[in-house]
Amino acid sequence: MPRRDDIKKILLIGSGPIVIGQACEFDYSGTQACKVLMEDGYEVVLVNSNPATIMTDPAVATRTYVEPITPEFLKRIIEIEKPDALLPNMGGQTGLNSAVELAKSGYLAEHGVELIGCSLDAIERGEDRKRFIETIEGIGLHCARSGYAYSVADAEKIASELGFPVVLRPSFTMGGAGGGIAYNIQELRDIVAQGLDLSPENEVLVEESIIGWKEYEMEVMRDKAGNGIVVCSIENFDAMGVHTGDSVTVAPAQTLTDVEYQHMRTASLAILEAVGVETGGSNVQFAVNPKDGRLIVIEMNPRVSRSSALASKATGFPIAKAAAKLAVGYTLDEIVNDITKATPACFEPSIDYVVVKVPRFTFAKFHGTDETLTTRMKSVGEAMAIGRTFDEALGKAMRSLENGRAGLGADGKDSFDDTHFKTKLTTPTEERIYYMAEALRRGYGVDEVSRLTGVDPWFVGRLQHIVDVEHLVSLKRLPGLTRQDLRLAKETGLSDVQIAYLTGSDEKSVRARRKELGVVPTFKTVDTCAAEFQARTSYHYKTYEGTESEIKPCDKPKAMILGAGPNRIGQGIEFDYCCVHAAYALHDMGYETIMVNCNPETVSTDYDTSDRLYFEPLTYEDVMDIVDVEHPDGVVVTLGGQTPLKLAQSLEDEGVTIMGTKPAAIDLAEDRDKFSALLDDLKIAYPASGVANDPDEAKAVAARIGYPLLVRPSYVLGGRGMVIAYDEAYLMKHLTEAAQVTPDHPVYLDSFLEDAIECDVDALCDGTEVYVGSILEHIEEAGIHSGDSACCTPPFTFSTRLVNALRECTRKLALAVGTVGLVNVQFAIKDMTIYVIEVNPRASRTVPFGSKATGVPLAKCAARIMAGEKIADLHLPPEDRTLDHYSVKEAVMPFGRFPGADVILGPEMKSTGEVMGIANDFPAAYAKAELAIDYSLPTGGTAFISVNDDDKREVLHVARDLKNLGFSLIATEGTARALKAAGIPVEAVNKASEARPNILDRVANGEVDLIVNTPYGQETRSDGYQLRSAAVRYGICYVTTMSAANAMVLAITAAQDGRLEPHALQDLDQWEPAKPTPEEMVRK
Amino acid sequence: MAEQYSTPAKLVLEDGTCFEGWACGAAGESAGEVCFNTSLTGYQEVISDPSYAGQIVTMTYPHIGNYGVNDADLQNDKLFLSGLVVRSMCYTPSNFRATSTLPALLEEAGIVAIEGVDTRELTRHIRDHGAMRAVISTVDLDDQSLLAKARASRSLVGRNLAGEVSHPAVEVFPALDRDGRPSATPRYRVTAVDCGLKRGILRGLQMSGCEVTRVPWDTPAQDILEREPDGVFFSNGPGDPEPVETTYQTVRELVGVKPIFGICLGHQMITLAAGGAIEKLPFGHHGGNQPVMNLRTGVVEITSQNHGFGQVFSSMGPIVPELSGGESSHHDDLRFWSERRIAPVVNNERYGRIQLTHVNLNDGTAEGMAFLDQPVFSVQYHPEASPGPSDASYLFEAFCRLMDGRSDFLDINTTGNRMEREYLSSSSILAKEAR
Repeated sequence: MPRRDDIKKILLIGSGPIVIGQACEFDYSGTQACKVLMEDGYEVVLVNSNPATIMTDPAVATRTYVEPITPEFLKRIIEIEKPDALLPNMGGQTGLNSAVELAKSGYLAEHGVELIGCSLDAIERGEDRKRFIETIEGIGLHCARSGYAYSVADAEKIASELGFPVVLRPSFTMGGAGGGIAYNIQELRDIVAQGLDLSPENEVLVEESIIGWKEYEMEVMRDKAGNGIVVCSIENFDAMGVHTGDSVTVAPAQTLTDVEYQHMRTASLAILEAVGVETGGSNVQFAVNPKDGRLIVIEMNPRVSRSSALASKATGFPIAKAAAKLAVGYTLDEIVNDITKATPACFEPSIDYVVVKVPRFTFAKFHGTDETLTTRMKSVGEAMAIGRTFDEALGKAMRSLENGRAGLGADGKDSFDDTHFKTKLTTPTEERIYYMAEALRRGYGVDEVSRLTGVDPWFVGRLQHIVDVEHLVSLKRLPGLTRQDLRLAKETGLSDVQIAYLTGSDEKSVRARRKELGVVPTFKTVDTCAAEFQARTSYHYKTYEGTESEIKPCDKPKAMILGAGPNRIGQGIEFDYCCVHAAYALHDMGYETIMVNCNPETVSTDYDTSDRLYFEPLTYEDVMDIVDVEHPDGVVVTLGGQTPLKLAQSLEDEGVTIMGTKPAAIDLAEDRDKFSALLDDLKIAYPASGVANDPDEAKAVAARIGYPLLVRPSYVLGGRGMVIAYDEAYLMKHLTEAAQVTPDHPVYLDSFLEDAIECDVDALCDGTEVYVGSILEHIEEAGIHSGDSACCTPPFTFSTRLVNALRECTRKLALAVGTVGLVNVQFAIKDMTIYVIEVNPRASRTVPFGSKATGVPLAKCAARIMAGEKIADLHLPPEDRTLDHYSVKEAVMPFGRFPGADVILGPEMKSTGEVMGIANDFPAAYAKAELAIDYSLPTGGTAFISVNDDDKREVLHVARDLKNLGFSLIATEGTARALKAAGIPVEAVNKASEARPNILDRVANGEVDLIVNTPYGQETRSDGYQLRSAAVRYGICYVTTMSAANAMVLAITAAQDGRLEPHALQDLDQWEPAKPTPEEMVRK
Repeated sequence: MAEQYSTPAKLVLEDGTCFEGWACGAAGESAGEVCFNTSLTGYQEVISDPSYAGQIVTMTYPHIGNYGVNDADLQNDKLFLSGLVVRSMCYTPSNFRATSTLPALLEEAGIVAIEGVDTRELTRHIRDHGAMRAVISTVDLDDQSLLAKARASRSLVGRNLAGEVSHPAVEVFPALDRDGRPSATPRYRVTAVDCGLKRGILRGLQMSGCEVTRVPWDTPAQDILEREPDGVFFSNGPGDPEPVETTYQTVRELVGVKPIFGICLGHQMITLAAGGAIEKLPFGHHGGNQPVMNLRTGVVEITSQNHGFGQVFSSMGPIVPELSGGESSHHDDLRFWSERRIAPVVNNERYGRIQLTHVNLNDGTAEGMAFLDQPVFSVQYHPEASPGPSDASYLFEAFCRLMDGRSDFLDINTTGNRMEREYLSSSSILAKEAR
């Protein structure tokens, strides 16, 4: 059946900002969907508030709205664009929920918009537990025994029938938010209370515990003719009880007999049919009792998901692309398998390798939160690895995590808690897998470790093999290792760093020895068919096996782009965006582009983003192995964040040509002493600073430059471990307890410019000319990490003189440092003086936002400059042109996922993602950004104000404005006194630490709509902490800085005035760099 | 038994390609035609499928043996394959159904096996150069000597392997009810001609209500007719169909007399009976992910396949345009028909109108046919799966419909609720075990 011609214009809703449980996998799937629909001649209208996505590039859709994903905006966009259809299942839970809301209210029907891919009824049957369970039982399958609770008392009653532990799942929440396992009545009460609140239906499912069972996922597709296929099966390493997003997972399933697997397959397809998924991809999760094989259906998601992205990368089967085609009428047999180009997509991929996914956590940023893994997802990213055996894939995945480890322990960085060793085995945490390996090293048997952890003996058996090989290696010194020894070590997934540690050598010596003995890897292909047919795409992985590599020769010059690795806080989708742009630009210039990355969620790891894809860890060893077979003419290291940047010098040392900014320039910008000297030469001001190798030196530096001080470890990303010290006591406490300062790891102490205004500048430099792409004025004052600060471009309070001075300063710096490509400069402006905080000789996280705000694709331009073009060749618009719109970027915080951690902003970055608001003025743009995060703005009701003494003067006009906007005000005693003195009516309430009823009760009762609370200095477990935690828990809009309070007042005003009209990016000025002329094309 | 990685082994192909590895089955030496199977699960069903007689099977999935072995999943009481090649053998399996390990089973059955082989490289080699003879040895590790043995070994072509794997004794198997219990009142009585009959097929027939009498491959038609069956089934089997002449002569005597259903070699027997031609495929179809379209319903089944020879559809007779969407000529690539959703009909000299009912969407080869003037149909692939997806299990029901005399016997809607027909598939073993 061919495509539908009765629909012309299709609305697609993205997933909004990156949050835990909903990350860049939806950029990958959304981009695929948009591209394939556009190719097929459909007009695509896209709504997504996340600017750091490829899908929101103006060329990807016909009309792109970077607008809040709220019913109001969606309705307004539907009125403007009049789409014929809405494809709801490409944008994660956010996209799906929005579509459901529009459909349920009858709005879609009224406006003639057809829901394609999945009917409302099917979505509801999949998502509404009650109907889902009925459906499952109806076809003779089973769910866990359960009951619904609408109150804590209900939950207690059901739990008493089922017996503890029970699993709690609030209805209609994303990534299992608000869910958990209760082992006792107190935990039950806590989780249910929160879950009822988070569930839009105020409903929590209380379920029989199947903790310890084996967990599986099936990625299934169906077309309208009823054809169904299973694209991939995934087996979780961790047993039931750990959210699948937090589990180590393995594809394909490893421990099922064929009859069990086929039963699960039939069940998956039958579930899609019964739920009524008409077309597209779904994910079905199962639990299997390891004792008797009893099969329980956990859930199904009638949409593309994190797992479908993983399955696509694991098999080479593009699920999202196929799903989009199925939604417009094609059947699976009509879609060609991209990889073979000769067989249809209506088949089930067979793979001849093992895929392991490992989650990436960032608990260190959220002190005080419980690190136990539960049914509620806590990881912020993931790495995937491919190997011919599980051992090899696991080893690669473990060293892909960018957590400083070189594999599954045995790298010199193991440290174990001997007193709680067994507890560490029984409790699922980020580090448990290291404890499992260690337990096996210490002589616990496979059965014992399996019993303590619930992990299937097959997996534990593989770990046993890995530690056995480790042991074998450790018995010798490097020169004593034979070819067979080294081969065995490499086949088992040990990294050169691990072998170096085990044999008392170093990485480079191991590499040299390996090559001398001929122990070098081969490269195989991901081809969907286990080599049955020839692959037309070049999607490769490395393995130690055989002698045959499948790398095609090529006579074009080759450019290799190093990606950003797993998402984590501080390094996310923004860098993937830059790498993808580089791949596009360099391909257009005539290069054979080679992408190296290990993040399965991304667009960069789509096999058709670059000419060749290597799904490999971004370590020296793994990158050099690829260099050895591809011999690239140049390597791009400055677009993937800190990960590839760290490799620049060692790659150059091996004779690799680094494209763009050279390692020496990178070093100049990152070495504080060299950089300070440079700034002195250029007569550019910077905060007084010093380096300390121990606490005493730190004291001396502090005495010289004075408090407050910004304290930071060397070479960090995302402000990891950064604090502001207001006095010596705090500084000493921090340096002795948290920072562990040593001569190897010195700390930098900078004078902290309190109340300074910060700004980010992203610029291009070709070595002789500099083009300032965007100047971003931060909303929050200095002291808040730039990644967590809201910002606006063009600057909304800067004078022309200041803007010119910033450009001039950027120009000087970019040239002096010697950058070629992108450069980011962070400034602080205080008392009319411009201070340089830092220069990053690489793409920054604001590049996608800046590119969208200004219409100039900076990353693409940078790639062309790195390939030798000049800025003049690109014919960019004048940098001082006037833009007729303002763009605001706001950060999205994950605090709701980390109960217990303080929710205050500081110099250490904590946000997971960002949104963008575009409007004709700053307040409206800011209002949109806030709406994009919270989905609503407080427009009236009660505002609670409690500010520190320094802010008591400034808060007066905020309070007055709020009053004028119709808010009634309540405040703690000190603030109330100040307001009353200024003649502003206010009611005083007790602080959290004072007698009840106090402010926490008011918050809990839903009597507060907006909280303005500025903390002082280093307060921790204080009143403010409790208040902010309550705000997060009850979803109340809160601001913690005066500048944000000011902006919020402006935003509420703009919203009340009705100034929030949607804008399509295509209506704003967009620039594409001039196409390379034939002379400019590169040749070998 | 021998420890893992203790005994070196070697695999040498007739073109001189050589793979080193370790023994992971019986000690000894064995020759056969090397082929590859792309199933991710089901190694036990694969190695116990008599159709692999004379072949050395390479599993493309690297970890084999993970879930051990059990009695219920065996497709035959004896193993007939010539050898097994894997990347990584599991000696310590994990599954509640396991009663032993794969290496132990291989050793007991005397099957030579090798692990540590780059099975992807081997697979690509076979894909590019075609299936070829090979020798696996744990006793002779000399490349030249093994090469000579490989070249001296017997080819599959021209050998009647069905005769070697068929059970000599006649045995009756009861019809089973949906819970797998023997049923006192079978709906049909079927005689199954065993050329290497898999248990999965036997079970599929039993579960669909047939009492099955298994008879040897060379049972004369008269003996079959004396049993007064409602239908006759021709089973799968190994190797080259041409030498299995006795069986396809039997088919000739039964066409038009009894309803007939054939699977795999059975399909080829019916083809030969109708005077059609068989060709050897370059490297065959061996796996559980082959897409096949039922041209009468337009639905695609993901199927399990295991054959190195296939029907040449154009040899069955000239196209009948008025029954073939107006098309008058044959097309080598049968996807011509599936793309147009046409089930073409030829006029066969011997049996009249024969319809192409199933086409492989990967390579456009014939996968099934139905006689329109006689109660006969057959498929090249495996509706019993074992291992593989159960999408085609409806064909057992189709056979019952055929025996009922229905002409719409193949027009079964398989979409809607797949659980309904699961009892016909191998997964019904689980329900029985749970009971």
